[in-house]
Amino acid sequence: MHIRKFDHDYSRRAFLAKAGTMAGAGILAPLWPTIANSADISKVYPDELMSIDAYTKGKVKTGDMITAANVDIVKDLLPPITYIEIKEMGRKIKIVPTTKDVTRLFPADYLEATLRNAGKAKFDTNNNVVNADGKPWIGGNPFPDAKTALEAIANGTLSWGRADNAIYVLHDTDIGPDGKIAYEYDLVWIEENTTGRIGPGGPYMKGHEDKLRYNTVFFTQPTDVSGSAFLSTWYNDQRKFPELLGFVPAFKRVRKFPTNQRFEPMVPGFTFYLSDAWGNGDPMLTWGNFKVIERRPMLGAQSQTWNGDDPNWNAPVHGGPQNQSFIDTNMELCPECLVVEAEPIGYPRAPVGKKRLWIDVRNQLFIGYHTYDRRGALFKSFEPQFGLYEKGNIKDMTGKQTTWSWSRCLAHDIQSNRLSRYNQNKEIPGGFKSGRNVDGMYEKFMTEQAIGRLGA
Amino acid sequence: MIFITAVFALGLRSLEVKTIFSDLFPKTHPFVQAYKDHPNFGNPLTVTMMVKRTDGKDIYTAETMEKVWQMSRDIDLVPGVDHDQIVSVATGKARYTVLTADGIYSNPIMDEKAPTTPEELAEVRRRVNESPVVRSFLVSQDGTAAIINATFIERLVDYGVVFDGVQEMIKKYEDGQHKVYVAGWPTLTGWAYHFGADTIKIFAVTLSLMFIFLLIAMRNTAGVLTPVLVSTFSTIWGFGFVGWIHDPVEPLLMVVPLLLIARCFSHSVQATERYYELLAEIGDKRKAAEMSLAVMVAPGTLGIFTDVCGLLLVALAPIPALERFAIFTGFWALMLVPTSVIMTPVLLSLLPAPKNVERLVGHSRESGFINKFLNQALTRMALLSTGKNAKVTAGVFVLLTILSLFMLTRLQVGNPVEGSNLLRYDSEFNTAVRAINQSFPGVMTLEVIFEGKKGRIVRQSDALTTMRTLQRCLESQARPPTATLSFADYAPEANRLFNGGNPKWSPLDRDDKSVSAASSALMLGTSPVAFLHIADFEQKNATVSLWYANNKQDTVDAALSDARKCIDQVGIEHENFRIRLASGSIALQQSINDTVDKYQWYIMAGINLVIAIGCTLVYRSFAAALILLVPVNLANFMLTAFMVLMGMGLDVNSLPILAIGIGVGIDYGIYMLSRLCEEYKDTQHMGDAIKLSLVTCGKAILFTALLMTIGIVPWYFLSELKFLSDMGLLLVVVMTINMFLALILVPLLVYLFKPKFVSSEHQLLSESVDGLLDAPAHEVANKLDA
Repeated sequence: MHIRKFDHDYSRRAFLAKAGTMAGAGILAPLWPTIANSADISKVYPDELMSIDAYTKGKVKTGDMITAANVDIVKDLLPPITYIEIKEMGRKIKIVPTTKDVTRLFPADYLEATLRNAGKAKFDTNNNVVNADGKPWIGGNPFPDAKTALEAIANGTLSWGRADNAIYVLHDTDIGPDGKIAYEYDLVWIEENTTGRIGPGGPYMKGHEDKLRYNTVFFTQPTDVSGSAFLSTWYNDQRKFPELLGFVPAFKRVRKFPTNQRFEPMVPGFTFYLSDAWGNGDPMLTWGNFKVIERRPMLGAQSQTWNGDDPNWNAPVHGGPQNQSFIDTNMELCPECLVVEAEPIGYPRAPVGKKRLWIDVRNQLFIGYHTYDRRGALFKSFEPQFGLYEKGNIKDMTGKQTTWSWSRCLAHDIQSNRLSRYNQNKEIPGGFKSGRNVDGMYEKFMTEQAIGRLGA
Repeated sequence: MIFITAVFALGLRSLEVKTIFSDLFPKTHPFVQAYKDHPNFGNPLTVTMMVKRTDGKDIYTAETMEKVWQMSRDIDLVPGVDHDQIVSVATGKARYTVLTADGIYSNPIMDEKAPTTPEELAEVRRRVNESPVVRSFLVSQDGTAAIINATFIERLVDYGVVFDGVQEMIKKYEDGQHKVYVAGWPTLTGWAYHFGADTIKIFAVTLSLMFIFLLIAMRNTAGVLTPVLVSTFSTIWGFGFVGWIHDPVEPLLMVVPLLLIARCFSHSVQATERYYELLAEIGDKRKAAEMSLAVMVAPGTLGIFTDVCGLLLVALAPIPALERFAIFTGFWALMLVPTSVIMTPVLLSLLPAPKNVERLVGHSRESGFINKFLNQALTRMALLSTGKNAKVTAGVFVLLTILSLFMLTRLQVGNPVEGSNLLRYDSEFNTAVRAINQSFPGVMTLEVIFEGKKGRIVRQSDALTTMRTLQRCLESQARPPTATLSFADYAPEANRLFNGGNPKWSPLDRDDKSVSAASSALMLGTSPVAFLHIADFEQKNATVSLWYANNKQDTVDAALSDARKCIDQVGIEHENFRIRLASGSIALQQSINDTVDKYQWYIMAGINLVIAIGCTLVYRSFAAALILLVPVNLANFMLTAFMVLMGMGLDVNSLPILAIGIGVGIDYGIYMLSRLCEEYKDTQHMGDAIKLSLVTCGKAILFTALLMTIGIVPWYFLSELKFLSDMGLLLVVVMTINMFLALILVPLLVYLFKPKFVSSEHQLLSESVDGLLDAPAHEVANKLDA
């Protein structure tokens, strides 16, 4: 039986009705109470928002490849730069089924913390997120059903990798406008949250309660940058710029960067800036004029993104002038995304006029991020791929849980037409391996002395 | 004819008028190849703005600092700008470095806003003085000027939009104390577009003038409408053709299409004048039209053949814009045969016969003052080429030839100006270039390219050592560059700072490890785009930039000679790189000069050869070819003498004129010689033949020359583009000289040498109507068919 009320245009009307009303997520039922009860969103959204087949009236089916030939059918479901990549640069995206079981969109302990701490977060007088008791946040998404842009951005900023700490080893490939590889790096990206922790030991790292996180990036290949490292120290107070220092191994010297230098690449060739990290690479209150633009379905890489059957988790590439610009990508129809914008009010020299994030309300993760230049023209895209680390019978475990993490991401400066693609690997030269919630990370990687040792 | 015109008209939809600057350079020249292989060196996409205090104060005032800050932000709003390549004392790229016990701080010279208090201003001044690169390239030595450089992305840049954006900024930021100067290639292109837009207006003015002149001279429907219609047809064919072949039309060469329209007018008027004469003689417009077609088709076609040769041979110079121009205008000229030579009599036969024929041919007593004046003038002119005067006139020509040849030896190749020769000396752009050159190392560089073979050469010791040696060698020459810059200047500074700041750490150890360490330290936290002026994005190729005080030919010659000498010293081929000379605006200027110098002789020889063969065949006499070629070559010698007197050098502006001058100029001689032969056959007296030819054909030549002058001379006065203005002036001069030589020297040579072909019955060219006038209609028809 076809319920006429849920015709093709129903969800569009429903989203329009919610515009500007501070309504929570969900169409047929509120999303988060449903998740708390069953983790199943089947009863929250009509079919047309959970199936590309229904959404496109059969023009695109699950399992189909989106190419230049059919991308116009789903143009409204893609961020503009992704559309251009498919339409003009030979990128292809495979459609996979929409994930209805929300437990597959989180690390299990992070989802538990989110549900456990729901309703306890608030903004203090300075707009920093605090717990109900006024102390720093205690873990999980502070605003699981974000209704404002600031709430949504707070979810993304307070915990990047949804673990107390994480070490990601990755390979970066920087592609020039001619499609050729300009630079390649192997690097290690390490995050250690000092507040909002969800593991044993409580929500705060002792002695670091004024901080939010430490973030170290160091390079292992090629030789000329091997040992070069950056250490960024974030404060809980999101009005303050992180301390940023770099270590130059050849001279065994620390170089202090201006704290608001967030729109420069760390090393030559990177299209990715610190400001782009996780779509929320800067303290959230150094940005302003937050706006919810709309709610809408989108295509996002939220599942089946891990290439576990490759020995080092590398993924095939395709597209671009040399057929190597894009990593193979699976995307699913995300039923509801919050589209938010913010402006870099704390950066008088920023080349960016605003950023726009498409945030999947199911797990409050950005599935698309664009910056626009000060004239309003498209500037850069940073597109992540998330999911459980399982493929067939192959799994990667974090403790007793199947690992959930990002697997690849793509930064694309559409103006200079340079791209950087990052693939999270199992291991890179130097013996570094990806992992989460690893003991002793702070001492090993997160101090000035530690990064000095890395280049020794 | 209408169907073909309609087909060509469809091509107009694809007509594109645009300047492709790289197409103005000779593609086979090694400098141009070096430029094309490494297009980012020499800042071809950089707009340079200089804010200059005009009241004697320096820039360290709140208002000037605010201007520099805001301009650096405003240029970021211009579409197509590379947001990472905006450099001024106000941007984060301009840094000063502080060493402390806990590390090296490299901070922007200006903090998060423009300085306003005396303390802040003093601090910025101090920081500038401590930053050598900023001090040399972003703030003038006397402290009264600051530079804002913005580089654009080639794929996204729209020069017109950039130009408009920058002009708005000039309006916004100039005041009584500040003058804003803007230079750089995108600005030059913007000016070319800006003034190029005047082309349509100038076209309208010149076409209107030509039309008015025609109206006054003809005063009848057929005489006015026919040239206008055939010119319209030929214009549609010409522009439609380039639309169909999708070749953009170069607006800088737009004076030549106008010349072709004038040529079409000219051919049509020649034929119309002959038609009038025949109509006056036989009274039947149809027959007169048929006969004028019969008698004019041969000289007209030969004249057009020479036009086509002149225009096509311009393509010998391997400059893409000229090659495209040659194809476009050569085809158009060729199409003048059907559209002008054939169509003119057809239209004349269809349009009403003019009622003022007697007046027009000068037989009537009411033939008018102009006709009477022309008859008298031409009759007197005939005296110069005949009788006793002939030898005197010949002596004058010999003298003129010797003088012209002497002046020819003093002709310089190239027209060096500080800035661009496309624009006038006092144009805003050239004024800006001079002003910037005065306060800073300048905007015109010679780039010596280090082309990588293996690895990232700026991280290799050999490359940086060689750069440094090369710079030192050049700086020690008798006429050294005003400044030099390479990656080798940055790496030692990084080495010094990261080693604790003592100057003794500046020199790099001569091993790849040390150089790589210094380069990596320099690049940490920085995009390679910040160094694109000296090394490409991948850092596999680099350049040594050399600035010179001016780009006059002797400076350029000395610079290139020194560069070659120093390159020989350091060696061209190295294991991981080779050194290539050269790119940058100075090298590109030289590439054009080299090409013009070399190909002008090829083009001239080619035209002479083709025309000699063509004329020998149609006149069946080599002497005829000589008689025609002597005046047009002398015309070119006289043109070059004129250029020397005017202080003009031979350049890409004047190169096509030499070719067109011969191709187009010889028309007059052909018409004159053909008519002279016919009149001689009738009169069997050379003096009378010359006089008759001058008052008939000579009048038509004078008339058409005047018509063409009216069509072209406004370019000299109306075009702000010196390129177009120069071409207009030179065309008028060469056409005028050609006209006088056709009227005086051609008859003189015939009179003096009395060549046999003049009385020959076997020429292919004939303006004779004798056989046609006396024959029955069917014989006329047969002759015409033949």
